[in-house]
Amino acid sequence: MLFTTLNFCIFLAVVLALFYALPQPVRKYLLLAASLFFYMAWIPRYVVILLLLITIDYLAALWIESREGPRRHAALIVSLCANLGLLGWFKYANFARDTWFALLHPGTHVEPLAIILPLGISFHTFQSMSYVIDVYRKKQPAIRSYVDYALFVSFFPQLVAGPIVRAEEFFADYFHWKSPTAEEWQRGCAMILTGYIKKLVCADQFSLVADRYFADPAALPGLFPAWTGTLAFGLQIFFDFSGYTDIAIGVALLFGFHFPENFRRPYLSASVTEFWRRWHMTLSSWLRDYVYISLGGNRKGAWRTRLNLILTMLLGGLWHGASWTFVIWGAYHGILLSIERLVWGRQERTGISRIPLAAITFLLVTIGWVFFRAKTLAAAVFTIGQMFTGPAAGPSLLSAWQWYLAILTLAVALAEEYWQWLTRLAQSSIWVRTAAAVVALLVIELFTATDLSIPFVYFQF
Amino acid sequence: MRSVISGLTGVARGALWIALALAAFFAADSLIFRAGWYNAYLEPESSAGALEAQLYWLKNSTTPRVPEVLVIGDSRIAEGFSSRTADSATDRRLHFWNFGLGGTTPRVWYYTLRAADPTRRRFGVIAIGLDNYSDEDWFAQFEDRATDQNYLAMRLGPGDCVDFAMSMQSMSTRQHALFGCLFRGMVLRDDFQTFLAHPETRITHAGDWLKNGLGYTSGYGGLAENLGGLTVDWSKRTIRFPDGLNEATRANVMKFVLREPVPHTGELARYRKRWLGRILDLYRDSPTRLIFFQVPRGPLVDPVARTPREGRFVDAAGLAPRVDVLPSDTFTDLERPEMFADGLHLNRDGRPVFSTRLAEQIAAVLAGGSH
Repeated sequence: MLFTTLNFCIFLAVVLALFYALPQPVRKYLLLAASLFFYMAWIPRYVVILLLLITIDYLAALWIESREGPRRHAALIVSLCANLGLLGWFKYANFARDTWFALLHPGTHVEPLAIILPLGISFHTFQSMSYVIDVYRKKQPAIRSYVDYALFVSFFPQLVAGPIVRAEEFFADYFHWKSPTAEEWQRGCAMILTGYIKKLVCADQFSLVADRYFADPAALPGLFPAWTGTLAFGLQIFFDFSGYTDIAIGVALLFGFHFPENFRRPYLSASVTEFWRRWHMTLSSWLRDYVYISLGGNRKGAWRTRLNLILTMLLGGLWHGASWTFVIWGAYHGILLSIERLVWGRQERTGISRIPLAAITFLLVTIGWVFFRAKTLAAAVFTIGQMFTGPAAGPSLLSAWQWYLAILTLAVALAEEYWQWLTRLAQSSIWVRTAAAVVALLVIELFTATDLSIPFVYFQF
Repeated sequence: MRSVISGLTGVARGALWIALALAAFFAADSLIFRAGWYNAYLEPESSAGALEAQLYWLKNSTTPRVPEVLVIGDSRIAEGFSSRTADSATDRRLHFWNFGLGGTTPRVWYYTLRAADPTRRRFGVIAIGLDNYSDEDWFAQFEDRATDQNYLAMRLGPGDCVDFAMSMQSMSTRQHALFGCLFRGMVLRDDFQTFLAHPETRITHAGDWLKNGLGYTSGYGGLAENLGGLTVDWSKRTIRFPDGLNEATRANVMKFVLREPVPHTGELARYRKRWLGRILDLYRDSPTRLIFFQVPRGPLVDPVARTPREGRFVDAAGLAPRVDVLPSDTFTDLERPEMFADGLHLNRDGRPVFSTRLAEQIAAVLAGGSH
């Protein structure tokens, strides 16, 4: 059930109405049932995997908390093996098999295993693992109620594509639940509308270009198609993913849950380090807390810090997809982060110098998207080749309207970054907010890019 | 009021605000698409634009003081019928309107007639062209045609929305129909976007069409293609095309002439009963006569009838007062390849013959003669 379908809007309206109509003790059962229904709308049988992982992690956390010594360690290992094992099987089995045959039996044609990736498995496994690790680290008490824990993992707004919510954040709202205020309702609706605009008006518009180019880059040779196709994908993935999380955050707010921010105008970053503090922030902080710090972080010297950065980003790349292109994308960002650390240390850039640095950062990030989006390594190499050594030929794939849209969204981002334009709008009178909501609804109604229902990019992860 | 609102809980106030915002959105959408001004700027070649232009001409043209006849149907009427020829065939004692529109079906015709003739007294005759008197199911689904809404975008009022949406079959089509009916911009999005992309071109084009389009369509001579030489071996179900026929026309002829039968579920019979029945109800207390006729079905027609002749819609309709059903063989002599441009449409040779004959038949009915 895509967030952008009428079915989801009806589902949400019904669940909201029931949620507030039912007495408070019953609401968690409603939310859990609704979340499982939401998940089962895709492939019903895969709910078994979700419930299996929930059960293992729930029991592992209780076991860890109630014991000391090696046995709590064993429970952690069991939990991590279950999560990573299932994630590995569903997501990486074909990749590992292909790589194995390519190395040991080159030239052999290998039929891929018929494995369908369970929806949102990359997200809910990370969310579960963070909980069990936090319990192991004694930063989080184990949750006693199975229903409470199951709801934490499966809560439908964030189940499929995040944001990756920590147990600490979720249960702070859950155990001290307060009915959202009228202002929070309006903020939630504003987030949902913003998300719809980002997805339906912007992301889908740019996806038309990116899909056309990356379907077969060789069919559109030349410098201009390569750059505009890649730029379109960079814009598509930002609007697509941040749109999704805006909707998720807004929906959660309507139920009284405050999800963490996941994107903060990342394309205005003046360094790649800053980019990762603004892009998919909940994944970045997850990788920092559970991978980078576990590897030793910056506590083991300068070279080890750089290596840890590269390894963390490499794993981050692999998390996004089971392909060498994603590994290269992760390594590319890891190397950029290491170089920045080497050149600038942890110095923040401010003032006018941010402008050229933001442009360079955007350029570097955009180049990286080639590896993220290309279907094969050969296609990625071809595209990079066209971008830098290709003939100054071929059409710009972006239409005038798409350029206007890109510039308009940049202007909105700058207005919010430096003048908090949207924040001020949210604090204005109710009539101004209502007028803004009407304009947003008209924009969604009239400027949706296509009647086709284009799935969110991150659903494949 | 203020004290009442401040006394509500946060959730109730939030819900109230959502209701207010949705109402304001409905008002804004209505201001653009229901106030009437946008009708003049619809793309003339769009479904809604074509229908609205027909209604505009009907409302704003000066017509002779003779009984008016509205001929309604799908593209077979649009291509096969000439109102100018029909006027001439009756020595201008009748004035004909061609309300044939490609891709329309009885559901669209019902709402079109409701808009075209609000008093139900304007026309002497409403002539309804059916592709076949047989209620044999067609490979296309009629009940669940979401595209019907594209034609009716400007004609469905808020009061129609539930009824219109529920007349669709699947849940997803019903949802889209309901929301598209309430918020017209959802249906007219593409039209609006292309308008904004080239406003001057659209304004000029739409303006010209409303001003002169009736003249253009009246002067239209018909399709030039001719299927003379086309033969079918019905026993082997093979087809022989004349030389020089392009691939698109060949595919069209294959699709419609050698149409594979679909399992008979009675869907078309139910659909006709519902929507043509509504047209009968619309004119129940009106002096207007309704005449059903079967259009020339194709260049060659499968001799094997696949559905029983009993219980057809037209048989029941013909029993109603002021309703006439022309015999099914009225135009069958026109079902020859040389009269057709493709598998469905009469060409410029068939068009004047059919128009003249239809006009004469209608005149005869009005004169009380036998048909």
